[in-house]
Amino acid sequence: MTLRLHTESSSPIRTTIHLHGRLDALTFTEFDSAAQVAMPHVADGGTMVLDLSSLEYISSAGLRSIAKIRKSMRARNGHTLLLNPQPQVRKVFDIVKAVPVNEVFASTQELDDYLDHIQRQIMEGTGEDD
Amino acid sequence: MILRSIASRLSLWVLAGSALVFVTAGSLLFYRVQAQILQQSHEQATALANEAGNRIEQRLTRVADTTRILATVIGPRPEDAEGMLRDAMTRNTDLAGLAAVFSPEASSAGAPPNAPFVGRQDDGSLASRDMRDDAKPYWETPWFLHGLGCTQGCWQQHFHSQSRHRELINYSAAMSRAGHAVGLVNADVTLDWLRGTLQGLEKPTGAYAFVLDQNGTYLAHDNPAMVGLRGHPALLAAVAQHQASRVRLAAAQNPLAMGKPVWIYFSPIEGTNWRFGLAMPEDLIYAGVRQAFVVAFAAGLLALLALTLVTLVVTRRTMAPLGTLTSSAEQVARGALTFELPPAPRPDEVGRLTEAFDRMRKELALHIAELTRNAREQQRLASELEIAHQIQTSLLPGAHYLDSGCENFELHALLRPARAVGGDLYSYFMLGEQRFCVMVGDVSDKGIAAGLFMARTITLAKSLAAQARTPQQLLSALNRELCRNNESCMFVSLLCGMLNTATGELVMASAGHEPPVLCDASGVHLVELETGAALGLDEDAGYPFRRLYLQPGQTVLMYTDGITEAMNAEQRMYGPERMLSCLAQMPGQGAADLAEGLLAAVDRFAADADQADDITVLALNWHHAIDHRSALVLDLTATATMNDVFDALGRCDASLQARGVASTVREDVRLVLEELMVNMVEHGRTPDAGHTIELHMRMAGDAILIELHHDGRPFDPLQVPSPALTGDIADHDDVGGFGIHLVRAMANDFSYSHDELGNHLQLRFHITHPAGATP
Repeated sequence: MTLRLHTESSSPIRTTIHLHGRLDALTFTEFDSAAQVAMPHVADGGTMVLDLSSLEYISSAGLRSIAKIRKSMRARNGHTLLLNPQPQVRKVFDIVKAVPVNEVFASTQELDDYLDHIQRQIMEGTGEDD
Repeated sequence: MILRSIASRLSLWVLAGSALVFVTAGSLLFYRVQAQILQQSHEQATALANEAGNRIEQRLTRVADTTRILATVIGPRPEDAEGMLRDAMTRNTDLAGLAAVFSPEASSAGAPPNAPFVGRQDDGSLASRDMRDDAKPYWETPWFLHGLGCTQGCWQQHFHSQSRHRELINYSAAMSRAGHAVGLVNADVTLDWLRGTLQGLEKPTGAYAFVLDQNGTYLAHDNPAMVGLRGHPALLAAVAQHQASRVRLAAAQNPLAMGKPVWIYFSPIEGTNWRFGLAMPEDLIYAGVRQAFVVAFAAGLLALLALTLVTLVVTRRTMAPLGTLTSSAEQVARGALTFELPPAPRPDEVGRLTEAFDRMRKELALHIAELTRNAREQQRLASELEIAHQIQTSLLPGAHYLDSGCENFELHALLRPARAVGGDLYSYFMLGEQRFCVMVGDVSDKGIAAGLFMARTITLAKSLAAQARTPQQLLSALNRELCRNNESCMFVSLLCGMLNTATGELVMASAGHEPPVLCDASGVHLVELETGAALGLDEDAGYPFRRLYLQPGQTVLMYTDGITEAMNAEQRMYGPERMLSCLAQMPGQGAADLAEGLLAAVDRFAADADQADDITVLALNWHHAIDHRSALVLDLTATATMNDVFDALGRCDASLQARGVASTVREDVRLVLEELMVNMVEHGRTPDAGHTIELHMRMAGDAILIELHHDGRPFDPLQVPSPALTGDIADHDDVGGFGIHLVRAMANDFSYSHDELGNHLQLRFHITHPAGATP
């Protein structure tokens, strides 16, 4: 089983990429190009959500791709949030301390709450940045 | 008891010797002096006797002369007789009486003329009477009749005068007229007079004198009781011999002499037939000399006692230091050496002995102190050696090792040093989960130096083994370390083997050590093994290796030259041939039996000969008790391309899944293998190498064991520094280090080696304890 990708862009500030299968040295280029396609749809200060619910496996090549996305989003003052990583993926993230814990969410609901919270903060003028 | 003292004995002997000399000399002197005294006494007494005899003779001669003159004068004129008699009496006081008598027929008238007798009264006055008036006519008396025959005068027998109550002797001289005796003049002397004469003699006290008449009767004697008795027969016999002038009577006749021996000296009294005798008791003669000798003897005894005392005192004083020395020597014998000797009194033998003894005591004390120090030193050395022995023993692992995990092999080792510490060594330990390292070595020397070098070798080997993948690497690393600062040029021969405990693969390398022996049911033979230089000599030495695959029941025996070079009493070596034949007689035996059997055989061979070298035997017995799970899972060779790599990953995953391995473990394995192989593909290739990746995967017990071999450029993932983990991968400019970090975190055991064949990676994953514990 290799990688399958599905990009869902509900609003300019939030784009979600769903990953299925394995993100490894063989498939990361595929993911990289998909991200390249999706990135422009996200407005500056927007949020890129990587839905890892169906990602079975990740290796260092996949980590590099995610790192690239995070760097791009950060450059655009945006966020990269991870949603529901599976045990193997989570273990890899833990080992290399890939992502701050508060940017990993177990469910869509948690993620929505978090984004709403940020939204309110921005609207109250107490902008928060990483 | 008292004779235990030398002084007493010496004094006693001096006393005995002196007494002997004194008594002998004294007795000799005594008898000589006694003989001389006797001789002297003889001469004196004889002279005295002669003198006394002469004096008596003189007085008797006067009496006789007077009588004879009166006879001559009175004969012609009888009428004047009385006056002349009186006159004579007055002049000669010796006379007791004088008588002038005539025979009756001589007178013409037929009647005798006057016969006057003048006698001396007791008061000294003279009295006269006429003898014709006597009751008994005098001319009929014997004395008259006998006297007429004495024309020249003669002494008559003594008689007792009843008228005068005295013992008398009379001297008669006949008066003759015309050749015819007509009368006689008779002179009386009393025996009292004679006795008085005897008593008047000067003679020694205790001596006594006597006069014997012609019949051998005592005429006069100092002891009046003897008068009238006959003389002793011996005396009379001596007297009869005219020439004898002295005789010794064994018992004196005189009761006053109390029967003691007596010498009698006699001399004849001329004019009579009498003998004068002087009796000297022998006691009297010897009294002086005996008294003198008693005194001398007493004085001598006193002197002897004094001599003994002086000897005793002098000897004791001389020996006193010896007594002290004796007590001191007894103290020395008891071990006490700290005492003070009195100062040597004089530089004589005792003084020198005291000094010598004191010197000896001090020397002895010094010597004993030194001995004690040496003994303590030796004890200390011995205890240090004992500690060293214990430390060295503690460096060695146990004699018996049984692979507890899967019981694939069994090891038995014996090490017997020739001295307290030795240069032989053996060691074994697990390297990771599946490699077992075993070594046997022999340091060039013996004793402490060898022991220290052995300790250094064994600890270095253990610490270096962690980084070494193969025995040859371990030997090289050890060699470099041992060459460093090896001024004493010590070296160690070492045989090192690494056993794959799962497969029985045994890789061995030797640094100048004896070749191992391989024993199995089919026979016993030395393993041909090319060796490198002994460790510690050549820093650049290389070490070839030999790979064996142990079969079940096979035993590899490692040993030191203590076995092969063991000597017996005839200086013959045990040698490898004996060792091989000995081992051949023990087919199919366990490691312990083989090792102990070989050692026992060597002991039997050496018998009484001393063990010259340390002996080590190590037997490694391969049981091959691998269970069904430890089978080879996958064995593939891939070209170093991304597709092939991922194809291989897929096959691995499928194989593990087929064997029921949990997906979590499988994903760990996959991740680790992907990272490593992708690395090889991306970075390990060179234009002419690095195109082949070998992968062996097997399962042993609860572990998955994977070997990866790649012939590309050397790359040790263990040496890659860990990336700084900031908590956000977006912080890193380059995220290349994460792959290796993941590998190190995921694999339970991970080792790397590189040799001429390329990079070799060994990985181990636990099955029962799922990988993924927090690194």
